[in-house]
Amino acid sequence: MVNELSEFVLVSVALLGIGIYGLAVKRNFIRMLFAVEIVINAANLNMVAFGRFLPHSGGQTLALFSIAIAAAEVAVGLALIIVAYRMYHNIDIADFRSLKG
Amino acid sequence: MIEISATPLIIIAILGVVGVLLPVINVIRKEKGSNSFYAVITFAALIASIGYVGYQFINENVAPSALFSEDVIVDDAFGGFFAIAMLIVAIFTTVGSFNYMRKQNYPAIYYSLILLSTIGMVLVAYSTDLIMLFVAWELMSIPTYALVGFIKRNPQSNEAALKYFLFGALSSAIIVYGISITYGITGSTNIGEVIHGYANLDPELLPLALLSIGMFIAGFGFKMGLVPFHQWLPDTYEGSPPTITTLLAAGTKKAGFAATIRIVVLGMVVLNLDWTLALGILAIMTMTVGNVAAIMQKNLSRMLAYSSIAHAGYILIGLAVAPHSNLGLQGSLYQILNHAVMKGMAFIAVAGIVTTLAVTNLDKLKGLGRRMPITSLGLVISLLALAGVPPLAGFWSKLMLFGGALDASTALWWAPWLAIAGVLNSALSLAYYGWIMRRMYFEGETEKRVSEPKSVIAVMVFSIIFLVGFGVYPDPIIKFVEFATPIVSLGIMP
Repeated sequence: MVNELSEFVLVSVALLGIGIYGLAVKRNFIRMLFAVEIVINAANLNMVAFGRFLPHSGGQTLALFSIAIAAAEVAVGLALIIVAYRMYHNIDIADFRSLKG
Repeated sequence: MIEISATPLIIIAILGVVGVLLPVINVIRKEKGSNSFYAVITFAALIASIGYVGYQFINENVAPSALFSEDVIVDDAFGGFFAIAMLIVAIFTTVGSFNYMRKQNYPAIYYSLILLSTIGMVLVAYSTDLIMLFVAWELMSIPTYALVGFIKRNPQSNEAALKYFLFGALSSAIIVYGISITYGITGSTNIGEVIHGYANLDPELLPLALLSIGMFIAGFGFKMGLVPFHQWLPDTYEGSPPTITTLLAAGTKKAGFAATIRIVVLGMVVLNLDWTLALGILAIMTMTVGNVAAIMQKNLSRMLAYSSIAHAGYILIGLAVAPHSNLGLQGSLYQILNHAVMKGMAFIAVAGIVTTLAVTNLDKLKGLGRRMPITSLGLVISLLALAGVPPLAGFWSKLMLFGGALDASTALWWAPWLAIAGVLNSALSLAYYGWIMRRMYFEGETEKRVSEPKSVIAVMVFSIIFLVGFGVYPDPIIKFVEFATPIVSLGIMP
């Protein structure tokens, strides 16, 4: 059974919505990081699906690049979170309030 | 095929090799201090790179701004222009760090990250393929997340890094989503083919094309600090080490504009929509919010951060009128180069003040003009240039920007309003710049002079010569800008 392109795109848009919702509502830093990852993976799903329905494989290449870069980004983010946890013993974004204007 | 002696490849080779080797040298030498050793190596690598860019320009090996290429990067004048601006910023950051990093740990990694981020910025300006653009964008961003949080024991630095990271990661996620939609509707990632695909688009797919352009504006706008996406910027600029703020305000922000000119402006031209109005509204909002918020600040870094937001608005004027007036786009490029020098200089002055006096609060800057005369003079010159006071270099770029807005008024009824808003905002900005100057020179008791860091003095002297020299005699730079500016109009389709 072959799925239609539009089904993949609908799933991808739904994932985008979930990611944006998570960023807007959640206050835990790791959850917000997950939300960003969901948005990136929605884009990856899009690219792989489009690549399958186009005559060349550029989409898969782009998705591989994007996965590798997202991994590097998350590594830096988790390192920052560990430093923050050592200082505050907490990773609630609402508690970080030393900078205000 | 791109030649092996092309400018971007040589820059990658020089900066990449040095950037990767610095931590290795650190491990081999088994020591923690000796900041100046690594700083000198970094400085030499950056000077070699900027020298090579200049050499290529002088020997006329650089193609006129091509904007499109079959390869992933193109060695054109547009990229070379941005490369010069960003390498100047990286040199400022390195020289400013001579003094600042003396009290911090791990200098080798610090300079290595600066070099890697610089490669990313330069490559963003050269790339003509969306995959390359994205990889370069992330190469630019990821080192800066680590650099902003570089002072590990400082809660402010960490908080700034967390906020910056969250918004930066979201912006790259949005950019990659925009790229995926663009790839889906045009079937290619090469920017030339994407623009061609946009031009011959099936009308049913137009909403998706709009969505992708909107996502590019939002994603690049986060880095540029356009107004609905600017919330992270003042916190990050205040909390991060001031030398790194230089890199963010003067460097990564400009890479956002390079990417926007490469893809968004052209995309809007061929989609043949009245979308320039959206950029115009963003420009006015960005200018006004930045300047009004800056008036209320009590902290020098934060005030300069809001002024940096306002300047993103001025530069955006040129992009908004680009399809109808090439003068506007030239003004944008000129303002980008000037803003790189002016803001770089201002934040290096802040770094000098922080290392010697450890204050950034405006109330504690009383009498600074007598305590640190050269740094204060540099700060004053940069602030006057930021406000666009003649005969400094900032005046000419603003004149070109506003002239471009007036030039486009035959085609766009709202374009003169951009120029009016720009002039009013410049006047407004002079108010809070004047407030800083008043604090520094006309208030406070007579304090003793303290010794100023030599590296900061070097940056100040170079920038004063640049701003005053090219303010009095702007012809060479204007010629260079005209050469580097791509012609954006309906006839450019590949």
